[in-house]
Amino acid sequence: MVIGGITPLMLAGCEERVSAVHPAGPAADIIATLWWVMLAGATAIFLLVTILLVLAFRRGGGPSGEAADIRRETVWIKGLGLGFTMAVLAALTVWGLWIGERLLPRPGPDVVAVEAEGRQWVWRFTYPDAPGRMTEDELHIPASRPIDVHITSTDVIHSFWVPRLAGKLDAIPGHVNVLRIEAWEPGEYAGFSAEFSGTGYRRHTFTVIAHEAAAWNAFLAGEMP
Amino acid sequence: MTDKPRLTALRLHKALYPIWRNDPGWKGILTTVNNNTIGGMFIMGATGMFLVGGILAMLIRAQLASPNSAFMGPEVYNQIFTMHGTIMMFLFAIPFFEALTIILLPGMLGTRDLAFPRLGAFAFWCYMIGSTSMIVALLAGVAPDGGWFMYPPLSSSAYSPGINTDIWLLGISFIEISAISAAVEIVVSVLRYRAAGMSLDKLPIFAWYMLVVAVMILTAFPPMILGSLILELERAFDMPFFQAEHGGDSLLWQHLFWLFGHPEVYIIFLPAAGVVSMILPVMARTTLLGYGWVVTAAISLAVLSFGLWVHHMFTTGIPHMGLAFFSAVSTLVAVPTGVQIFAWIGTLWKGRPELHLPMLWILGFFVTFVMGGLTGVMVAMVPFDWQAHDTYFVVAHLHYVLIGGYVFPMIAGVYYWLPVLSGRKRFFRMGETAFWLVMVGFHGTFLLLHWAGLLGMRRRVDTIEAGSGWELINLLASISGFILAIGFALVVLDVAVNAVVAVRCRRNPWNAGTLEWATPIPGPAYNVASIPVISSRYPLYDNPDLPVQIARGEGFLGTPIRNRRETLAVSVSRAEPEFIAVFPHNSIIPFAMAVVTSIVFLAPVFKWWWLMFAAAAGVTVLALCWVWQGGSRQDEGLLDAGRGLSLPTHAEVPYPPGWWGTLFLLLANSVLFGSLLFGYAFLWTVAPNWPPPAILQPGFWGPVLAIGGGAFASGGIRLADRAIRNEGASWLGLLASLAGLAGLGAGAWTIFAGTTYNAHAYDATLWVIAGYVTFHAGLAGLMVLFLTARIQAGFISARRCGDARVVQLWIDYAVLVAGLGLGAAWLPGWLP
Amino acid sequence: MKDILRLSLPLSVWIAAFSGVYGLEGVVCSDRGAGAGLGLGQGRAVLVVAWVVAIAVQVGLIFGLRTPRFASAQPWVQRVSMILACVALVATVWSLLPVVTTSLCL
Repeated sequence: MVIGGITPLMLAGCEERVSAVHPAGPAADIIATLWWVMLAGATAIFLLVTILLVLAFRRGGGPSGEAADIRRETVWIKGLGLGFTMAVLAALTVWGLWIGERLLPRPGPDVVAVEAEGRQWVWRFTYPDAPGRMTEDELHIPASRPIDVHITSTDVIHSFWVPRLAGKLDAIPGHVNVLRIEAWEPGEYAGFSAEFSGTGYRRHTFTVIAHEAAAWNAFLAGEMP
Repeated sequence: MTDKPRLTALRLHKALYPIWRNDPGWKGILTTVNNNTIGGMFIMGATGMFLVGGILAMLIRAQLASPNSAFMGPEVYNQIFTMHGTIMMFLFAIPFFEALTIILLPGMLGTRDLAFPRLGAFAFWCYMIGSTSMIVALLAGVAPDGGWFMYPPLSSSAYSPGINTDIWLLGISFIEISAISAAVEIVVSVLRYRAAGMSLDKLPIFAWYMLVVAVMILTAFPPMILGSLILELERAFDMPFFQAEHGGDSLLWQHLFWLFGHPEVYIIFLPAAGVVSMILPVMARTTLLGYGWVVTAAISLAVLSFGLWVHHMFTTGIPHMGLAFFSAVSTLVAVPTGVQIFAWIGTLWKGRPELHLPMLWILGFFVTFVMGGLTGVMVAMVPFDWQAHDTYFVVAHLHYVLIGGYVFPMIAGVYYWLPVLSGRKRFFRMGETAFWLVMVGFHGTFLLLHWAGLLGMRRRVDTIEAGSGWELINLLASISGFILAIGFALVVLDVAVNAVVAVRCRRNPWNAGTLEWATPIPGPAYNVASIPVISSRYPLYDNPDLPVQIARGEGFLGTPIRNRRETLAVSVSRAEPEFIAVFPHNSIIPFAMAVVTSIVFLAPVFKWWWLMFAAAAGVTVLALCWVWQGGSRQDEGLLDAGRGLSLPTHAEVPYPPGWWGTLFLLLANSVLFGSLLFGYAFLWTVAPNWPPPAILQPGFWGPVLAIGGGAFASGGIRLADRAIRNEGASWLGLLASLAGLAGLGAGAWTIFAGTTYNAHAYDATLWVIAGYVTFHAGLAGLMVLFLTARIQAGFISARRCGDARVVQLWIDYAVLVAGLGLGAAWLPGWLP
Repeated sequence: MKDILRLSLPLSVWIAAFSGVYGLEGVVCSDRGAGAGLGLGQGRAVLVVAWVVAIAVQVGLIFGLRTPRFASAQPWVQRVSMILACVALVATVWSLLPVVTTSLCL
């Protein structure tokens, strides 16, 4: 509730530049929806538990005896403890997995591949569509097209994270992980390395620049830095 | 009650006290094996570590209070947050509940001490030496700085030269020896050392929780110990377990670490849940609702918690189906948690709750822990975790769970059991003020940090940047953090003052029903003057005279005629009296052993290998002295145990306490070995740069020696065991098993000869497997020699054959791991 | 001690089955699995069979722990062990359900 109340305050500044709850692409968007629904549900459950606790102090104790205890076990343990929690959790689990499925990097005709290589403390990006192009700490992508970022590392573990576009995925030496991102609009989006990597960790950041179709083609042709 | 029974009780006390008391003076501290003394020192040590960890937390909050802070550079800050996490998890949380358990458990179970008093002392001294070393490293500026989960390659020698990481790996492994020792002691105590009639359905609920937790420690810590061991091998000898270019994989560390790390969270939570389950019914003037369901929930939670380690690795690129399994278990584990929460609330509804200070803390626990649990379910959702992982959302979540779910109930427990611990009841009333300071401070610090995380604030950044949008939240968190710290400091002060100078109180001031309130307070060295017979979960409610009857010696072993430390051991399930356990006297060996063991772990930090081997030899000698002290050179037969019952001593039963301790130690050991085989299989399947350039060919002699050796070793000890029981000559069997163990060792040696230890992760893994097998063959061989000496010295007879059974267990284990380990090592060479 | 085994067996079988299926999924999706000529269709079939077997074992345990031979003489232990066996069955169904609902190797 407190968190919800503060949102408008935060929107006033430029803070949403790095915010996971101010999505600028489909993946971040559906995750933000998941978050708001879970926040509402969690608040409701928290209030329920609090009310039950408070009521326990307002009552004068119930009937005693074995029959009363068996009745209490049915209500509190089988009903609330097992029934209620399992119903809520089953629904949430299924929904979470369904969202996860939608975010996977499935092949498609429109998909653009780029490569990201983390190292202490630089990100290098290369583009299979434009062999030989390499940018440092700046990833260029076309807007409103699905992008598969092929992520790896040359030294320690890093993590590729553009909060407004999608969740994060680790850069691990010897492995290549694929993350699907997409930006609705052209623009600049802040990116971080999100796995602790030593003394330069805080400054290990990058920018994602999403272009309109024409500008993207120009970039591939080598016209832009 | 007239004067007469009191006289009897006093006389009994005067007879028992000299038998059980510590040595006088300072020497008494070093030689004590008494659970009350050890537990008291343990709890003070752990509280000291909580204060150190708290000071580090304040430094962190000072650094993050304002943007672009110049207070600390990243080199220092990285050490501070790494040590904050390490200290709170390993040096405070686990030792603190172990300490509380060591003090309370004998009283609750109605017995005189825990099963292995010297092991408890050893655990304490290992902990004290290990944690002191870590603090010294911190003060010397060479503290670990890779984050408390030490991911390689960052923690490998290429990216972390210097001794910082070695101190972590070796220091923490050493402290885990302490945790495992305490766990073995707790398991065997709960299973075998109880009041007569305290069958499994009548165990105090805290004992159930601690049984579960101790088994979890035995099964969760070994993967981490293995991980530390092989990472240290990589750092010291360049064996490439985690180096991708040589077939290693840094993900292996993450699996091993979180195989430990997630159960660890529940290892910390369950004791707190046990404390809540003990206190809450007393505060509500009733009994626990759904005892059987709560036990079921604790067991389910324990096992389920071993199926969620990958939820710390949702962002490592594991396929979605794999993540889905762990996401599903992560939500499922919330069900037994929910069962416990609702059982507790139902208990409050059933009774008439009163708002004493312990109850206040439990309410704080409810509010905070439920919120932490709910955010926990959120991060169990794979997509949400992709955003929240490694941000302050997770930092806030884990503090809600650990402080709300662990620290608050523990404070409730300390206030509740203060009369047992100190003999005094609360007089100075700082506690309520401290409670409210902590509540306001805690939620002020951590609630909004969730939001900072969603706004993109990563954990472990060394400062925040101006214009990031996190400044206000962090300033508020820092101010609240200092309020929280003042609150905790007041709690510690309040407890200390009340424990030292408050008024003495009568026995059982809360009118509780369990046995820890049946003894005089604070508990005398022997805990119970005689071992009671009970018939329900709340014996003091059935029989308010029970404390007097215990004190008058009306239970078992109520007349200390044999002038030695004795207690009753019962059958596991029904708690029928089975034998008399004779406890060791005060001894310097646990302390000496801890000192020498610490050298084994600390010498490699400085690459002083000769010192390490010398210390290892010292540990062996001390261990032999340790086990030599037990037992008897003649058969005692059946002895009077009181109440008309005659029982043998533990030396004259086929499966003595030492056998039970060995069994659970081997459980932990087998998990370590299983983790090793898992690592081997993991590297084969997932690691880059496989298969290795050269695969070991098994040849002829290796397998033949191993198979033959295994048969001789197992067969020989059985032959010897039969000879002992028939009063025959056992030398032939002992010799055969010794030869067999040598064969096993020789079989394993062929692997060393056929591979190069640092060529590839494959070779390195084979060396560890072969080394493990060789070590166990050697250890079992040493035990055979020890058994031979015991036979020569007259400690073994047809009735006193327990030692042989223990050795047999170790030999069978060595044969088993040789078969599995060497088989796995040779398998690829046999395949076409 | 037998009573302790009765209480711990079903969930121990669950954790073994769970780890086994997770390991199997790792093999199916690894380069080594693909190298051995294991297609995704066959891979899923293997996983589903493993899941069904795990469920069958749990159902077997529930019935087995009721028989006079394996039941506990203590009613309380018997009741708790039956609940734990049911917990293990639910855990097996719930935790491995993704083998039929989730994409393989993506």
